Amino acid sequence: MAKVKNRIRRLRFDNNEMTQEKLASLAGCTRQTIIALEQGRYLPSIELAFRIAHAFGVSLEEVFQYEESI
Amino acid sequence: MSISQKGAVAQLLIFSAVIAGWLVLFITSGTVFFWLDDTVKMAFYIVAAVGFGLLVLMNAIIAIFARGKKPASDERDKTIWRKASLWATGVSYTFVVVLLLILSIIYMEQGSDVVSVYFPLFIVLIGGVVLVLTQAIAALVYYNRMVSYGEG
Repeated sequence: MAKVKNRIRRLRFDNNEMTQEKLASLAGCTRQTIIALEQGRYLPSIELAFRIAHAFGVSLEEVFQYEESI
Repeated sequence: MSISQKGAVAQLLIFSAVIAGWLVLFITSGTVFFWLDDTVKMAFYIVAAVGFGLLVLMNAIIAIFARGKKPASDERDKTIWRKASLWATGVSYTFVVVLLLILSIIYMEQGSDVVSVYFPLFIVLIGGVVLVLTQAIAALVYYNRMVSYGEG
């Protein structure tokens, strides 16, 4: 079973404690989607994943990690 | 709670009120043979029409006031509502088909005296309410569950 994890919460705090509202505004989504992402309740589109990575100024793999477990 | 999620709550409340309104009508008319009374029949339609009218009004208000800088909905909302609509369509379609089948069986066995000509119309109307209610419930369930983009 594969799982996609993310470091959005960590990256927000590393970026001057960026608020969820600010990240949502930069990524062009709602704050509720950021909350769902941080809680692992939403797997985004590749486009939104890139927009979030761009908002932090990092690569996609620094935000999202693909973990495969049996 | 996002605007889209609040919309689902409002939709649920409006159509729960429609169902409650119908129940009040059945109780106050004192009979399940409400189709015999034109006043009650008209009230039945009016309650449903008010519900659908409020739904249209609510969506218009959301469309007007959500034109700010912040997006009122995004890809997650769209995915959730698409999945909820699939559930709603399936449930309401099954509901209407099953009730119409039951009605046709009763018609074949007991004749036209027992089955009012208004019954198929009522079933379709109730099917519409079931569709809206199921959509709202399914959307609220999906807002609290794991969802992947493009599902449904």
